[in-house]
Amino acid sequence: MIRRTLTIEVFRFNPQTPDIKPYMETYTVKEVPNMTLFVALNTIREEQDPSLMFDFVCRAAICGSCAMLVNGRPRLACKTLTKTLPSHIKLLPLPVFKLIGDLSVDTGTWFRHLNLKTQAWIHTDKTFDPKAIEERMDNETALKIYEAERCIECGCCVAGCATANIRDDFLGAAGLNKIARFMVDPRDKRSDQNFFEVIGTDEGVFGCMGLMACDDNCPQELPLQMQLAFVRRRMAMTGIFGGK
Amino acid sequence: MLLQKLIGRNQRLDAYLDVAEFLSGLFLVGFLWTHMLFVATIIFGTKIFNKVPAILDATYISYVGIFMVIIVILLHMLVAGRKIPANLQDQLIIWRHARRLSQKDTWTWVFQVVTGISILILASIHIWAILSGWPINAQISAGRVQETFFWFYMLFLVVCEYHAGIGIYRIAVKWGWIHRQKVGKVLTVITCSIVILGLAALLIFRFVIKAGGAP
Amino acid sequence: MSLFNIHLTDVLVIGAGLAGERAAVEAASFGCDVTILSLVPPRRSHSTAAQGGMQASLGNCAKGLGDNPDIHFEDTVKGSDWGCEQDVARLFVNVAPIAIRQLAFWGVPWNRVVAGKRKLPDGSIIEELKEKEGLITARAFGGTAKWRTCYTSDGTGHSVQYTMDSIVVKLGVTVHDRIEAMALIHDGERCYGAVARDLRTGELRAYVSKATVIATGGYGRIYGISTNAVINEGTGMAIAQDTGVVPLGNMEAVQFHPTGLFPVWILITEGARGDGGYLLDKNEHRFMPDYEPVKKELASRDVVSRCMIQHMRKGFGVETDMGTHLWLDIRHLGAKHIHTNLREIDNICKNFAGIDPVKELIPVRPTQHYSMGGIRTNIDGHAYGLKGLFAAGEASCWDLHGFNRLGGNSLAETIVMGLIVGEKVAEYTEGTEFVLPQRLVQDHMKKQQERIDKLIKASNNGENVYELRRKMEETLMEKVGIFRNGKDLEEAVHTLQDLLKRSQNISLRSSGKGANPELASALRLPGMIRLALSIAYGALMRTESRGSHAREDYPQRDDVNWLKRTLATWPEGNELPELSYEPVTITELPPGDRGYGEASQSGKSKE
Ligand SMILES: Cc1cc2nc3c(=O)[nH]c(=O)nc-3n(C[C@H](O)[C@H](O)[C@H](O)COP(=O)(O)OP(=O)(O)OC[C@H]3O[C@@H](n4cnc5c(N)ncnc54)[C@H](O)[C@@H]3O)c2cc1C
Ligand code: HEM
Ligand code: HEM
Ligand code: SF4
Ligand code: F3S
Ligand code: FES
Repeated sequence: MIRRTLTIEVFRFNPQTPDIKPYMETYTVKEVPNMTLFVALNTIREEQDPSLMFDFVCRAAICGSCAMLVNGRPRLACKTLTKTLPSHIKLLPLPVFKLIGDLSVDTGTWFRHLNLKTQAWIHTDKTFDPKAIEERMDNETALKIYEAERCIECGCCVAGCATANIRDDFLGAAGLNKIARFMVDPRDKRSDQNFFEVIGTDEGVFGCMGLMACDDNCPQELPLQMQLAFVRRRMAMTGIFGGK
Repeated sequence: MLLQKLIGRNQRLDAYLDVAEFLSGLFLVGFLWTHMLFVATIIFGTKIFNKVPAILDATYISYVGIFMVIIVILLHMLVAGRKIPANLQDQLIIWRHARRLSQKDTWTWVFQVVTGISILILASIHIWAILSGWPINAQISAGRVQETFFWFYMLFLVVCEYHAGIGIYRIAVKWGWIHRQKVGKVLTVITCSIVILGLAALLIFRFVIKAGGAP
Repeated sequence: MSLFNIHLTDVLVIGAGLAGERAAVEAASFGCDVTILSLVPPRRSHSTAAQGGMQASLGNCAKGLGDNPDIHFEDTVKGSDWGCEQDVARLFVNVAPIAIRQLAFWGVPWNRVVAGKRKLPDGSIIEELKEKEGLITARAFGGTAKWRTCYTSDGTGHSVQYTMDSIVVKLGVTVHDRIEAMALIHDGERCYGAVARDLRTGELRAYVSKATVIATGGYGRIYGISTNAVINEGTGMAIAQDTGVVPLGNMEAVQFHPTGLFPVWILITEGARGDGGYLLDKNEHRFMPDYEPVKKELASRDVVSRCMIQHMRKGFGVETDMGTHLWLDIRHLGAKHIHTNLREIDNICKNFAGIDPVKELIPVRPTQHYSMGGIRTNIDGHAYGLKGLFAAGEASCWDLHGFNRLGGNSLAETIVMGLIVGEKVAEYTEGTEFVLPQRLVQDHMKKQQERIDKLIKASNNGENVYELRRKMEETLMEKVGIFRNGKDLEEAVHTLQDLLKRSQNISLRSSGKGANPELASALRLPGMIRLALSIAYGALMRTESRGSHAREDYPQRDDVNWLKRTLATWPEGNELPELSYEPVTITELPPGDRGYGEASQSGKSKE
């Protein structure tokens, strides 16, 4: 088998040293079988350039740390096999999020803010009774909640969304999906009117123009089209006829 | 912007506007597709074609209808147009973003803007031409097509159908229950059929019908 | 010295995984001012990677009917090979059901019981009861008498972590992410917080607190082959040991998981076997029944891992360029089951190995997975050796797991222990004055700054971090792995001692300025090597086999001499850890037969 030599072009910029302007740096690595960008980037760091910044945590497509633009598209680098790419690979940090350095961006702060803004926790007036058994829930409902909860906050949907690229207050598909998760949860006692107050504007669901880059790029393959439409219908009804 | 200032900062404004975008778009596509079917009746001969405006005029649908279409187009222009970035820098970001991402639906949105603005110009000319050449019958239409409008209509047809087809796809995607791949396929078929009908009608006007009666 | 910033708080929690966040929430709910530090945003902590589930004896599902804390207790103690603290285990099994229900209350979408008959992959038919419908269900996990592992499809850790973090956000607990604790501030008696480094800018800060909780997870990454996240480098344990007074317990107890995906070492959850998956050898023969006729693939992890290694040693492994492996077969579970209940496995196989598990066999091999050892604490989670220092979760040695942790018990431990420690911490801070020992803080800051300066200034011809690190990883993997023996362990200790010396001479090849990743590695490495030495040296001294610690030269468990726990402290300047031993607390269940494994009557295979 002939092994390819990969040319990897990486965006370099460190906000700590702003006088060095952003530039692209090119590295070459020998491809090995089943090589992922995780392996490739670590090889570069260990053997060629120990100052290169990027984020990996789980290296198993679970934690959402390693999203970046791979040849223009938002991808989880850890699960991108180099054999699925041409031999010239261009890596850029995700747009929208604050740059920490090179390929590393601050998705954590963005999502914490999102969770605060959408109040992404169960709202209930009950108190927990340690002696009681759990409240019953239909398994179908549990699965439906989990389906939306699978989001790993990687930011691919946000980075790919043109709306989010021009409006920094837009909650993005991840934010709207989060709302959908709490809407279907019977434990959450918020009314549609409550949700409307959070997302019933152009910052929320009505800012979404249906560009579907989120749906195409979500590494968890969440059904974002369906989730967004679901939220849009519910919120439009609430906006026009008033909430329950 | 202007509209928002007029109504004031109503909490529900964004919801109303989004629904208005949806309804105006839906109405216009409904109109356009019906309108195309009416025009295509020329395939079955001038008699049948001429019957359509006759009935519409007799029931006053045409007078009300023309007025409504113009109003809705203006409304649609405002509500759908509000999503077009106001400043150049944002437009550049979108353009660059679409190129880098090379994702279908982002591109089609960019084209939606371009075709929408083209329609604004083309439809004004078209409606002006129709109204100034009133009434509607096969001879007058054929005259228009043969004298000046053939290439205009060729372009207009494609632009309109593209904008309508994508528009309805976008409505389905944003509001509907059905997966977008499926919606996309069905709508491509419908759009292509209508373009073919439109082409057939245009060719008949151009080469088959005898012009006459134009003012 | 006003150059650095000092952050004051009642409770400093180092680590935002499940244990850290659960402790923080509990302390905050008692009114404490809590600050959490984490290397990464909380939701990226490694707890999210736990797919399988979390044990609690709810007894709702058909195969779990009649379950109760007593049975859970018995399973846990047997699993630990009698190495655990039985009072801790008792406390744990009693609280686990409450903790799980509280998570349900907070929002975890646990899978629920669906009434009706169901056919299991082995052909038997079970019936879920109508009266249990809608209650939290459970799946089978290795080493348990009942189906007891509660789960949300295969994203249990993810769901639980997201829910815990939602409570943290709701309560407005301060979280500083991308901050690495580098040293504890202490005077040999009391802990006053930690010195930390900002991984965004590289600058140092001090966090001064009444109580400090270390919940930094495991050290898997000191092994070359591990299922752990790349941030699991054991720094929390290392900084505790670095104080010279806090002992680490049972470091030689290292768990290997039977099914790491070959050769990327991503975990294939035990759920795969729990749901009916088989292990096959190169002849596609299902070999586990030959070794373990009763429990088969579902014996405890240490047992299954050893059987696999033995079977490969006998020449039944599949040989490849990159090493030897065996097969995991889940094809018979069917596409529907795999695509819903085992979706993550399906994804992992496709994404990282290009395999479709519905149609193909999955290459697997035992892989380092969990550290039973850690910062030794009492039953309240209070660390030995320093007042005001607590530990929770995988970083701690509470000691619930003894020499082998049961699958599903560690997630449950993070929550249960977090809850208990949080409360104890609140109690402790209540009765403690806040002190800001300025001199002490300055000294500790200065010491860390000097380490950094030394590394940045070091000449270019010193040691290479990555090279030393690789050597350490290999040494542990080859010589302190699943099967151990005196000769290998001795060699490992020597090699590691040598590496420890060389690690004092590291020089960077990059500038080391700011958020430099090479500098971060260089700062961590000596602590990691000390952990490695604690493991290797502890293993060398323990001349018996117990749980995951399998000595080829001492294959029997030796309750007469070794029913005790290793404690490893590291006084400053030492070349080796100082080992001492303490008895294991036995309250209910005297040492006996595990019911599976090599030492067991019923489990012995005679071929
Ligand atoms: C792949 C995999 C699957 C698993 N599946 C299961 C399962 O199904 N069931 C089960 O019971 N157990 C399972 N486990 C084990 C279980 O997930 C872990 O033991 C448990 O999640 C550990 O939680 P923790 O809170 O102690 O640590 P972690 O979740 O690892 O969190 C550690 C935290 O500490 C922070 N940190 C670390 N060092 C520092 C530092 N120096 N300064 C500041 N912050 C620091 C990190 O940023 C992180 O936030 C699994 C483990 C793995 C590896
Ligand atoms: C007057 C000129 C027009 C302009 C400037 C215009 C502009 C636009 C723009 C910018 C959009 C995209 C909005 C968005 O999806 O967020 C759009 C959508 C749409 N347009 Fe037009 N358009 C015009 C005429 C028409 C006509 C004549 C029709 C009917 C055939 C039509 C049908 C639609 C439909 C159905 C949509 C989708 C609406 C939605 O996504 O909710 N448009 N238009
Ligand atoms: C509002 C009143 C309208 C009337 C009465 C009207 C009438 C007609 C008539 C009679 C024709 C046949 C050709 C001719 O006579 O010139 C025609 C063609 C056409 N019209 Fe309209 N029209 C109207 C509005 C619109 C609008 C708003 C659009 C598009 C958005 C449109 C798109 C077209 C197109 C594309 C054709 C070409 C048909 C073909 O290809 O066969 N029309 N129209
Ligand atoms: S919705 Fe998908 S793409 Fe967006 S953050 Fe969540 S996992 Fe990532
Ligand atoms: S890409 Fe953006 S505009 Fe809506 S459909 Fe997705 S959020
Ligand atoms: S490193 Fe966790 S998703 Fe890629």
